[in-house]
Amino acid sequence: MPDHPTRIDLIRNTEQALRDASLQRQMGKAMPASRRARADAVAELPEWESLRSTAAEIKDHVLANLEGYLRQLESQVSALGGTVHWASDAAEARAIITDLARSRGVRRIVKSKSMTTEEIFLNPALEAAGAGVVETDLGEYVVQLAGERPSHLIAPVVHKPTEEIADLFVRKLGVPRYERPEELARVAREVLRAEFLAAEMGITGVNFAIAESGTLVIVENEGNARLTTARPRIHVAVMGVEKVLPQLADLSVFLRILARSGTGQRSSVYVSLLTGPRRAGETDGPEELHLVILDNGRRRLLADPDLRAALRCIRCGACQNECPVYQHAGGHAYGSVYAGPIGAVLTPAYEGLERARDLPFASTLCRACADVCPVKIDLPGMLVELRARSVRTGLASWRDRMLVGAWTFFTRSPARFMLAGSLGRLAQRLVARGGKIERLPYPLSGWTAHRAAPVLASTPFRAWWKSRQGEGR
Amino acid sequence: MSRPVPPGDRPTADPVALFIERAEQVGISVITVGTHDEAIERAVALGRERRVQRAALWDTPEMAPIRDRLRAEGVEILDPRGTFETFAQAEIGITGAEWGVAETGSLVLSAGPGKPQAASLLAPLHLAVLRSDRIVPGLATLLERCGPLPSALVLITGPSRSADIGLVPVLGAHGPTAVTVLLVAG
Repeated sequence: MPDHPTRIDLIRNTEQALRDASLQRQMGKAMPASRRARADAVAELPEWESLRSTAAEIKDHVLANLEGYLRQLESQVSALGGTVHWASDAAEARAIITDLARSRGVRRIVKSKSMTTEEIFLNPALEAAGAGVVETDLGEYVVQLAGERPSHLIAPVVHKPTEEIADLFVRKLGVPRYERPEELARVAREVLRAEFLAAEMGITGVNFAIAESGTLVIVENEGNARLTTARPRIHVAVMGVEKVLPQLADLSVFLRILARSGTGQRSSVYVSLLTGPRRAGETDGPEELHLVILDNGRRRLLADPDLRAALRCIRCGACQNECPVYQHAGGHAYGSVYAGPIGAVLTPAYEGLERARDLPFASTLCRACADVCPVKIDLPGMLVELRARSVRTGLASWRDRMLVGAWTFFTRSPARFMLAGSLGRLAQRLVARGGKIERLPYPLSGWTAHRAAPVLASTPFRAWWKSRQGEGR
Repeated sequence: MSRPVPPGDRPTADPVALFIERAEQVGISVITVGTHDEAIERAVALGRERRVQRAALWDTPEMAPIRDRLRAEGVEILDPRGTFETFAQAEIGITGAEWGVAETGSLVLSAGPGKPQAASLLAPLHLAVLRSDRIVPGLATLLERCGPLPSALVLITGPSRSADIGLVPVLGAHGPTAVTVLLVAG
C-alpha cells in the first residue's frame, strides 16, 4: 500500500478542529506565548536581519552545490568509522534501518524526536521487524502512547491538555492519576530511563551535518537525544539531503537563529556535535554509527525553481506559531507530518499536489510566516504558485474555476465591472435582509456558509464620487 | 566554490561578566572562586550540603583532588570506566568544562578517555569546573577554536528542561535538575 493513499480533507479536518474546545483552548494559550518568546529573543540582536540573510545565502549555496557537499560529508563520516547509507525514498530508508536492526539482533530501540523519521513512517516498520521502539522526547512519548502523530514541529503535543495526558498515563502505564506537569514528567523520566539502559539501538534526526568534519549536530532541551546517542551500542542518524552545511563556522549563524525562532531561547539546552563513533579509550558513545541520507522528494523539489527555497527550512516552527490558520486549525488538520505554512508547501511537493491540493489555500497570504522565517523562505509566494498550479493542471474544482472565470470576465473593463454592480444590486433584492445577506445560493453558498455578506451600496462609489465633484473642498 | 562567510562575534567588553549574567538567566548557578584549591573546597562543601553518597567524576588530573577529598569524606566514588548503569546511581556528576560561551551562558564539554558523557547527564546535579580564561565571547569564536573535534562536543545551557506537558517548564526532563559552575578566576 502506498504511504499516502487519499486526498487530504482539509475542510473537514478544520471543521473538526474548530469544534474541539480543548484544542482551541490549548492553541490559544500556546501560540501567543511562543510568539512573544520569539519576538523578545530576536529583538535582542540588532544584527537579526543580516543573520537571516546570511543563513539564507549559506543554505542557497549548499543547495546549488548539494551533491559535492554530500559526497564530502560521506567521505568524512566514513573516514571517522561511520557508515553512510543513501535512501531515495521512505521505503528504502525503512528497509535500511529495519535491516540494520534485524541483522544485529536489536530488540529494543530508543528514539529522540525526529520529523524525518515521522516522514518515513519508521516506527511501524521497526515494530513489524520485531523491535520495540520508544519515543523519548516527552511530547513525542505522549503522542506515541496516545497512538497519534505530532501536531507541531517542536511542540509535538501542543494540542493535548494536561488532564488528557494524566488520564493517558493512568490507562497506559498503570500509574496513579498525577495531574501536575512535573509529576507526569517524573513518571515519564523513570519509565524512559529504564528504556535507555535497555536499548541496543538509538535513532535520532540531525539538525545540521558539517561536510568538512563529518560532524552531526543535534539540538534539544531535554537531554533525551544525548542519552539516545551516548548509551546504545548502535546510533542511527536520519537526515534529509538538505541538512548539510559546508563548515563548522556556519553553525554559529544557524544555532543563533534556530533556538530564538523556535522557543525564544538564546541556545537550546543541549547542542551535541557528534563526530564519528566512540573512540579508543572512551566508555560511552556508539560503537557503530550509521548515517541515513534521505531524498524522498527533496531532489525533485530542488529541481523546481519556484519552490526550491523551501529546502532552506530548519524546522524551527516559527511559521506555524505565527500563522492565523494554523493557530485555529492545529497541526493535524494538515493531514501530514509537516503542518502550517511550511507544511502547505512541503506536503504538496513531497506527496503530490493532487493529494494535498487544498493545503495551499489554507492561508490568508498575510505574510506573517515570511516575516518570521529565519531563512527567509517566501512561503506566501510559494502558496500562490501552488494555487496557480492546481488551476493549470485542472485540479481546481469546477465551481472554483467558474467563479474565478466570472470574476475575470467582470473585472476586465470598467464597463463590465459597472455591469456586474448593476446586476448584483438587482439580484441582492432577492436575498438581502436588513442590510445583510445571510445565505447566497450555489455557487456562491460557500461565501455565506460561516458569515453574512454585506449588501452592495445602493449608489456605486464612482457615481457617489462624481456627485461630490461639484461640491466645495 | 565561493561561499557566504558567517559573521564573527559581536565584541564584548567583559565576556566573564556576560557569561555569569547569561548562565544565571538560564538557571545555571555560578560560584566564583579565586583558585583551583578553593574550587576543590567548594565542591567538597557542596557534596556535604547535599548529603551526597555516590559521586561520578571525570578521570582527569584536575578532578583527582576533588575525588580524593570526597572519598575521604566517605563518599562512594563510582568507577569512571563504569557503565551507564553505574553512573545512573550518582547523586552528583562532577566534570570539567573546556569552554564557556558568554553570548549564550553555555558550558562546553568535550568527550574523551576518562571524560564520559554520562558524568554530566545522569545525576540530578551537574557540577562543572570552568576556568574564566576559557570563556569566549560567542559561538563564532568557540567554533573557530574548538577543533580538532572530539567524538562528542556538547554545549550545555542550563538544566535539562521540557515544556511539552501543559506548556509548563519542567526541569530535569531527562538530565540534571540543577547545573552549578565553579568559575575559577584565571
